[in-house]
Amino acid sequence: MSTWRTTAALSRAAALGALGVATAVLFGEPAVMVLTAPFLLMGALGLLHRPTSTPVARTLVDHAVLHEGQGTRSRLVVSDLSGVEHVTRIAATVPHVALHPAAGRIGQLLGPDEEAPLLEVSPRRWGRRNLGEENVAFTSPWAGYRWGPARLNGSRLQALPVRAAFDSRAEAPQPLGLVGAHRSRRPGDGSEFAAIRRFHAGDRLRRIHWRVSLRTDALHVVSTRGEEDTAVLVVVDALADHGRSGGVDGAASSLDVTVRAAAALAEHHVRRGDRVSLRVVGSGGETVQYGAGARHLQIILGRLATMQVGTPRDLRGEQLQLGVTAGTVVIVLSPMLSVAMATLTATLVQRGLPVLVVDTLPAEVTPAVVEGTDPQVAGLAWRMRLVERREVLARLAALGCPVVAWRGPGTLDDVLRRLARRAQLPQVRAR
Amino acid sequence: MIREWTPGQWGLRVTAALGPVLALLATTPAGVPPRAWLVVLVALLSLAHARLPESPVGTVAMGAVVVWWGVAFRGGPDAWAIPAAAALVASHVAALLAGYGPDALGVDPATLRRWLVRAGAVFLLAPGVWLVAAVLRDRGEIPGVWVTGLALALVAVVAASYALNRGAED
Repeated sequence: MSTWRTTAALSRAAALGALGVATAVLFGEPAVMVLTAPFLLMGALGLLHRPTSTPVARTLVDHAVLHEGQGTRSRLVVSDLSGVEHVTRIAATVPHVALHPAAGRIGQLLGPDEEAPLLEVSPRRWGRRNLGEENVAFTSPWAGYRWGPARLNGSRLQALPVRAAFDSRAEAPQPLGLVGAHRSRRPGDGSEFAAIRRFHAGDRLRRIHWRVSLRTDALHVVSTRGEEDTAVLVVVDALADHGRSGGVDGAASSLDVTVRAAAALAEHHVRRGDRVSLRVVGSGGETVQYGAGARHLQIILGRLATMQVGTPRDLRGEQLQLGVTAGTVVIVLSPMLSVAMATLTATLVQRGLPVLVVDTLPAEVTPAVVEGTDPQVAGLAWRMRLVERREVLARLAALGCPVVAWRGPGTLDDVLRRLARRAQLPQVRAR
Repeated sequence: MIREWTPGQWGLRVTAALGPVLALLATTPAGVPPRAWLVVLVALLSLAHARLPESPVGTVAMGAVVVWWGVAFRGGPDAWAIPAAAALVASHVAALLAGYGPDALGVDPATLRRWLVRAGAVFLLAPGVWLVAAVLRDRGEIPGVWVTGLALALVAVVAASYALNRGAED
């Protein structure tokens, strides 16, 4: 708990004032009083404005949850600002959080009934962001007394990933649900023409095709395909982060691409009315069950923002339980640098599920190496890893799993159409 | 760190450093040049004062100037005491402004303006006291004036000490 203490300025003014009077009296020299009279006055005014308040301060952000790149204000909430003339706020800088003023330092006069100065903060990267500790000091009029500097805990922000630009016009390969936007293989009450067939009991009269009926002397109806929603499972590889993240407006690491692409895919499918599930393969193992709607999307984004990155113990791709049912489209977002992810993907493909891999390794990524490592050795190791990765991707493609690099809108259109065409063909499934 | 100083901080620190030295050298035009060692001492203390505006070293630097002015002159106040007072007030206020925060804190223009006005107003006391001293000097020695001054000084010191201690205890 901080208290009001005299400042160095008040001590100096009082000491010089007293010294001036004493010297003037001792040496009988009034010139000294000319020098120190202003100090006596400043000291007296400083003493007269001694505050009696007992401020209790804390910081508060206007928005605790926001998207990366967005900004909010960090307020200094003080119980009693009476007797405070000047406020100093010094916020510690933390990675991936931009502050305004840039260095997080504010020193301002406080007007009557005025709020303490605001600090603008903006998370530049998705994830949980703890604002750094803040040192706060209040100074009384005439700089006689100072409260603090008191150390305040920084607020916590949750930065949701900004949704990468994405759109797709392709339909789900195997829609198997209720009412939705995807053309089903089954006939139903949709708008997509399927065939003209003979009238059956139960057919709607408005479906009768009169021209064909007159020509054939038998009632014929237009049959359509049903339109169903689909389930989409987004699998996020959070085993490691490759590359350096420069935040929302800088270079993207593999995890940046993964998370932003996952957010974009989730939003796209939720808006189309599909049921979307999320499974994070990482040390946290975060999961979001199938669901739809805006609230569900917020849950997915929140889970993406708070996921833990790392490799869990005893990670085996074939043992990972994803809870995938028939008709589910599985989108694996991964740089495919882990054997476990490759095994997991291959297992899903062999089950006959429509699986597609979105390659999220940025083109110009350089690996993070331990300090002191020979750069040539590190470069060689990285090249070998890339060769292995190429082999893994080729094997997945050979299994029938399309692999596409994330490039925003239209990334999935072509592969989804191909998967849809393949879904029409008879298949032999491995069990 | 000095490297973190903003241009505003540099201005404050230079003012804080130059003030006591100029106030000391102001006795030269009045015919009493300060000793060289004293100039060097005050200059060093002033530099330390500029670097650490919250430390007591500033009081020592300015105190040395005040004592020198008391020792150097006999025979009434000199007009050069007024610019010397201005230099000391400027140094004090510059250090006060620099002490509002860490080295890298920029200088708030509104705060600077307020303190310039205050410093100007407070400084007006110096020519006032000089005028009173000049008038009293012409009238000769007034019996009991120094005893009264000493008593007032003691009261001021006791009151200031009491207030300072109270502030620290709270």
